[in-house]
Amino acid sequence: MKLSSKHFRVLGAASVAGALSLTVATTSGASSGGLAAGAPVKIGISLSLSGDFSADGLAFQQGYKLWAADVNKTGGLLGHKVVLDIVSDASSPTQVVTNYQKLVTQDHVNLTFGPFSSLLSLPAGKTLSRSGYALIEGAGGGPSVFQAGLKNIFDVSLPVANNFIPFATWIDSLPASTRPKTVAYVTSNDPFTEPQLTTIEPLLTKAGIKQVYNKVFPAEVTDFTPIADAVAAAKPQVVVLGSTDVPTVSAFMQAFEQSGYTPKVFIATGGPDQGSTFIKAVGAGNADGVMVPNAWYGGSSNPLSKKMVAEYIKQYGGTAAGVSSDVVEAYSVGEVAAQAVKATGGFDNTKIINYLHSGAVMQSAQGPVKFNAVGENVTPTAFTFQWQAKGTKFVQINPVGDPNSVKVLFPKPAWGK
Amino acid sequence: MNSTALLSAAKDGILTGSIYALMATGLTLIFGVMDLINIAQGILVILGAYLSYALQLHWHIDLFLGLLITIPAMFVVGIVVERLFFRRLTGPEKTGMSILITYAVSLLIEGTLNMVFSVNDVQLQAWYVNKSFAIGSVHFGFIYVAGFVLAAVLLSALYFMLYRTRFGVSVRASVADQTSAALVGIDVKRVSTITFGIGVAVTAVGGMIYGATNAFNASSSYDLISRLLTIIVLGGMGSLGGAMLAGVGMVFVGDMVGVIWSPIWSSMSYFIVLAVVLLFRPQGLFGKQSARVA
Amino acid sequence: MTSKLKYLWWVVALAVFAVYPVVETNPSDQTIGVYTLLFMACAASWNMFSGYSGYIALGSSVFYGVGAYTMALISIHAHMAPGAAMFWLAPLGGLVAVAFAIPIGWIALRVRRHTFVVITIAIFFIFQLGAINFNFTGGTGGLSLPFIQWNTSYYSVPFYYVALGIVIFATVLSAVVRRSRFGLQLMAIRDDEDRALGLGVKVGAVKLTGFALSAFAIGMAGAVYAMFQGQIYPQFVFDPTFDVSVALMSFFGGLGTLTGPLLGALVLESAQQYLTATYSNNSLYLILFGALFLIVINFMPRGIVSFFIDRRRRALAAVAASASATPPAPAPSNVGSLV
Repeated sequence: MKLSSKHFRVLGAASVAGALSLTVATTSGASSGGLAAGAPVKIGISLSLSGDFSADGLAFQQGYKLWAADVNKTGGLLGHKVVLDIVSDASSPTQVVTNYQKLVTQDHVNLTFGPFSSLLSLPAGKTLSRSGYALIEGAGGGPSVFQAGLKNIFDVSLPVANNFIPFATWIDSLPASTRPKTVAYVTSNDPFTEPQLTTIEPLLTKAGIKQVYNKVFPAEVTDFTPIADAVAAAKPQVVVLGSTDVPTVSAFMQAFEQSGYTPKVFIATGGPDQGSTFIKAVGAGNADGVMVPNAWYGGSSNPLSKKMVAEYIKQYGGTAAGVSSDVVEAYSVGEVAAQAVKATGGFDNTKIINYLHSGAVMQSAQGPVKFNAVGENVTPTAFTFQWQAKGTKFVQINPVGDPNSVKVLFPKPAWGK
Repeated sequence: MNSTALLSAAKDGILTGSIYALMATGLTLIFGVMDLINIAQGILVILGAYLSYALQLHWHIDLFLGLLITIPAMFVVGIVVERLFFRRLTGPEKTGMSILITYAVSLLIEGTLNMVFSVNDVQLQAWYVNKSFAIGSVHFGFIYVAGFVLAAVLLSALYFMLYRTRFGVSVRASVADQTSAALVGIDVKRVSTITFGIGVAVTAVGGMIYGATNAFNASSSYDLISRLLTIIVLGGMGSLGGAMLAGVGMVFVGDMVGVIWSPIWSSMSYFIVLAVVLLFRPQGLFGKQSARVA
Repeated sequence: MTSKLKYLWWVVALAVFAVYPVVETNPSDQTIGVYTLLFMACAASWNMFSGYSGYIALGSSVFYGVGAYTMALISIHAHMAPGAAMFWLAPLGGLVAVAFAIPIGWIALRVRRHTFVVITIAIFFIFQLGAINFNFTGGTGGLSLPFIQWNTSYYSVPFYYVALGIVIFATVLSAVVRRSRFGLQLMAIRDDEDRALGLGVKVGAVKLTGFALSAFAIGMAGAVYAMFQGQIYPQFVFDPTFDVSVALMSFFGGLGTLTGPLLGALVLESAQQYLTATYSNNSLYLILFGALFLIVINFMPRGIVSFFIDRRRRALAAVAASASATPPAPAPSNVGSLV
């Protein structure tokens, strides 16, 4: 899927939308954090438009743009049209620092939104902390980000460590006759995936499932056949894969097919939640049965989410199941920022930071948002999702017993096209 | 772990290693004949992969049939690059300069590939890419076996060319000593150009197989070139047999380490093997013994 | 150019660099200055060994990374208070880098030039993979240093001056080596190693010493970088493009000259920062960079500075030839030149 957007187009689109809304509301008499009436509010964002995180960076850009367009349709933030100032960091932490410095000191942005990945959020957060800016982000949820104890980082998405708990509960709930007996853990060497596996390993052991393979592979591996061969040779019935992107999952799936091996249960930490990108990579027939934990999915009944999904489909086509979770993460960042701005009556970052730490509950397309002292969102629950019906349905299966959960497709059907 | 795991790892090492051996052979041949280190070999492999990708995407040409187009195409690319950049390279600093020049060329190619194909990872697809057959409990992927066969055929052809044709004699003479070769009437410039072309043409095959078995984009070239360089040094720069043996050997060792110990140490084992071998044989396995270094 | 004039140029340049952060108060530009200075120090130091001896080392990022991790590990485990005190760890980072350089050099220098290039690459990857995979280095998550709270408006400035100090140190060291007997021995090795050996130069010891010396400033630069960034990740302090960049900058400016690497780093690093910041399009930057490189190599194959030195020599020689009857043939060598 090729997406080539330049940030100028963002500014162009936002300005057009903004110009239309200028005729609508006017600013109130209250303070706008120093913004003159009619002046646009600039939001600075550094995104990975190239490099390792580019696929996610581009999806994030879509989410941010969608939010900006929506907000400008209803008059902007406190009557000021929103203008996104997006720069590329090429997935480099060095560049991220320079970017946010430039955005703050040269472009004089009023607010800053986050980049993609825990690797980049932390340097960004530190840089912005020195200028007193808040960093509201949707994808830097690795524990290392919050361990630094910064007060200005706010991650609107689910903290990752507990992603697998509903899944583990489901496995535990299976009767002894059908419950899988062996499990293989294989994960990329990454601060996003490894904590999730660390959480689930004792849980599955307690459920009586024997670990037959547990290895970490370097993040830069591109030929997964040897690793998949080794996993297949151990014949595990459950495979828990720590992956961060579609190519990794798809490569494993292909390698498993080549090794003539199908696990009964296959769950990956990231990749299958990327909607149509995932289906295109693995083929609709192979997607069935693949599971992934997340706090949100395209078919969510949350009214804010439905609205966003509808707009996304109108602009980019496709189906609800095809919407990547990156898009909603970015969109939610905007929503939370908008609510903070409205509550504090302006764009003063200190006030915004205090408000976000005040325990206030905000709403987003991903669900409710409430931050703890280090900026983690403590309200969302993890769900487990699964592809069914030949790659056309992406449905919620866990927690079992949740009114929105459907029957789990178990065991996983054999590979086929 | 069980025997299936070990056998599978051995199988992977040998099949994948043959492809690296093929690509490394091209690289070591270039060095042997021209005293040039072609850092762009990595990105040329990727270019070959993208060519196969484009052929398949736009004209639905099968990957293997497409080689009939990509191999000559890459040969031409090699000749053009050699003519453009290496003709004027002479003197004692030739090799050092070649590193710089080929690095700059690889940047150009990388940037262009990024612009044309975007930075998103792609992989070559075909109905047979995931199919495999089994011998006992070990599964052999079609594409890996095909790659191995191709590599074996091409390497044999290369050997035949070098040891049974007149051109091959010219090449070997140039490798042994360029000045003497010129003195006996060998057109060293022509030999160099064609050799460079051959060295690059093999990347078409390497690229196709690599692209079918790995998700790649232009920046995959860095990992590739570092492995290829390691292989030719281990084998002995300029030695074809060395490149072949080292190519298969390194990947084999890497895969075995990955299965016995952990995939994390798999890559590192490449470089540790190199460092250890060089400690005892500074010229590599089959390299020419140079004058004693104090 | 008389010696006095040459010294004047150095003083002027130094003054310009010293005044830069005062004049250019924009923190982004100051940050670019910091990165540029760090690269200048690394290029000058790298050139001191590789340029003078002809042994192109493409693994100098190892020293950078070692310096960075030293700064990080010590400041974290000694529970240092964030602040200027951490600067004292920079020379320590340099020393640790030298300590690593000795065994690395001993292994790597056993081989001849072309093989040497590759083995330095291999050793580099061993370090990078080690940093990624060992626990005490924090793995891919890297290490987070004590957080320095200086205000954005002047944050970069102390780092700028420290980096400038390192550049001055590296340049002075390079100049001293150049005019010493030790430097002559290095250059003899570059010109013809066997002959040097035959003439009694202790080739092995000389190479190893040069290699180890070059590690010091690079290690310091890595330590300062770690402090500046606030956190380090293995793939960014052990960065293969750093290796090549440092070499390219020296070649670009003029391998084996004194100012060449400084000039090369100044031009290339600020260009890169500027291009990436302005164009946000990595591909365009790669193409421009590659093209620029090829053009310079084409017209000035020995680097910019060498190009001008050679031209001046030829001009002087032509003048001398027309004055006298004998046509001198100046060999383009940079020994004894202060440029």
